[in-house]
Amino acid sequence: MLLTLLAVSFIVFAAFEIIPGDAAVSRLGSNATKETVEALRVQMGLDKPFIVRYLNWLSGFVKGDFGTSISYNLPVSSMILEKLPITVTLTILSMIMTIGISIPLSLLIAKYAGSKFDRISYGTNQFVMAVPSFFLGIMMSWFFGMVLKLFRPGGYISYKKDFGGFLGYLILPAIAIAIPKCAMSIKLLRSAILTEAGKDYVRTAYSRGLSTMEVLYRHVLKNAMIPLITFWGMAVADMIAGSIVIEQVFNIPGLGRILLTSIANRDYPVVEAVIILIAFVVLIMNLVVDILYRVVDPRLRKD
Amino acid sequence: MLLSVEDFGIEFHDHDKPERVVEGVSFTLDKGEILGIVGESGSGKSMTALAIAGLLPRKKLKKEGRILFEGEDVLTMERHKLRTLQGDEICMIFQEPMTALNPTMKIGTQVEEALRIHHTQMNDAARKERAIKWLENVELDDPERVYESYPHQLSGGMRQRVMIAAAMVGGPQLLIADEATTALDVTVQAQIIKLLQKINKESAVAILFISHDLSLIRQISHNVLVMQNGHLVEKGAVDDIFDHPKQEYTKKLISAIPKVEL
Ligand SMILES: Nc1ncnc2c1ncn2[C@@H]1O[C@H](COP(=O)(O)OP(=O)(O)O)[C@@H](O)[C@H]1O
Ligand SMILES: [Mg+2]
Repeated sequence: MLLTLLAVSFIVFAAFEIIPGDAAVSRLGSNATKETVEALRVQMGLDKPFIVRYLNWLSGFVKGDFGTSISYNLPVSSMILEKLPITVTLTILSMIMTIGISIPLSLLIAKYAGSKFDRISYGTNQFVMAVPSFFLGIMMSWFFGMVLKLFRPGGYISYKKDFGGFLGYLILPAIAIAIPKCAMSIKLLRSAILTEAGKDYVRTAYSRGLSTMEVLYRHVLKNAMIPLITFWGMAVADMIAGSIVIEQVFNIPGLGRILLTSIANRDYPVVEAVIILIAFVVLIMNLVVDILYRVVDPRLRKD
Repeated sequence: MLLSVEDFGIEFHDHDKPERVVEGVSFTLDKGEILGIVGESGSGKSMTALAIAGLLPRKKLKKEGRILFEGEDVLTMERHKLRTLQGDEICMIFQEPMTALNPTMKIGTQVEEALRIHHTQMNDAARKERAIKWLENVELDDPERVYESYPHQLSGGMRQRVMIAAAMVGGPQLLIADEATTALDVTVQAQIIKLLQKINKESAVAILFISHDLSLIRQISHNVLVMQNGHLVEKGAVDDIFDHPKQEYTKKLISAIPKVEL
């Protein structure tokens, strides 16, 4: 796990070496004189060789000092701590929608498997799955914002000022993120439910006098969700990484936004920290997935 | 009379042409009776059993005749009415104890399930008490621990005992055991047969015991039905069938029993 993070941080650092552009130039503007730029480079330590800078940065990072943002001159840790709740809330909202909608819908679709309803939802699902979140986001912000005027695009409300308003603003972007994930979940869950429904224990459950819905909810669902755990875990990681795009569409100043601006400004301490954070989330999600497997499936628990 | 099957038949319509798998089957079963159904694989035993338990697929299948349980036809009964019988009056255990239990649900919850559905006035403690009592009745050691276990922690024989406990917990009139000992090894098989006989005596539950194994059928049944290709070829008291078989098919089956087992 640590090795993975180390590798990620090195690759990000190396990428900054390769891409053109200079943090000092971007801070001073392109009409700054050569001398001022050079002076700033020395001050920022940019004149030192690549490996020395990497090791400097790394030793600070390990000690918990994430460095100072080059373009904002603020500590990276406080910048990230301020943005993190936004992206995390957005991800949680999207996940709640994905799981909360896909479970009852898949059960319903599975119950009527083979019917016209099943075929229609299959077609809709295939279509929805292929629509990217950012496109949905643009369409939704146009439709709800410009046509219905239910929502003010760009009218982001800070969670510090008005948490309710903040949540309200995040609902549309969360829907945009959740819809394709939901479609995929339904597809996977429907087939998992149908696989489980053919198993012997389901017949046993029917023999006790349960209704179809009871059999599905009480017996089939938990077993059918086992193969979905990995998908949902990856979805969380994917949502955090995907915030780069959706935050841009809805003008939300979260992690994704800060990552984009920092890349543009060659603000490598911020970029490093955000990317390592995303990598960390991916790794943590792997762990969470493993734990959830054990919680849901008693066969995987060690006695 | 508990159960009366009259001219029962099944025709599948799930392939190109209709397939008759059971035809003209009639028999009766009294309260407390153990009726064995024997016949080679594919003779329609399971289909008959599933029909009585109300577990036949509802689509692509034509059912004929009547299956009267306490005078009411389970074949034409409305589903919600049928569900009040299932698990409460009519219970069933199956061939594969390894897969017949839900792998992610505690044994206790599964044993109690029929009570939760049919005896809604019982509280959690009373349900648990009854479940533990039945885990004891089926001669499982340490019923408290079994109650808290998951299926994978138990052996095949133990799981089949659990299935019997879960079936009996609601106090049914009829227990259908379809090849319930087939997947078990011989010693466990004998134990389960003994257990079913004990339960039959103590609870006066009628048992429909289905097996392709004649020696087991002979050991446990009061009366026997012999099935072949979806037809009932012979029925009678166990001793008559085994000592004086009338039909060629029955004679052939009996002569095929390995002598050591008799
Ligand atoms: N879905 C189906 N479509 C057509 N035939 C079937 C279907 N299911 C079972 N059968 C046939 O029904 C017959 C009776 O099966 P079954 O009752 O399981 O036999 P047994 O339990 O005596 O071994 C078998 O010949 C089997 O091939
Ligand atoms: Mg069978």
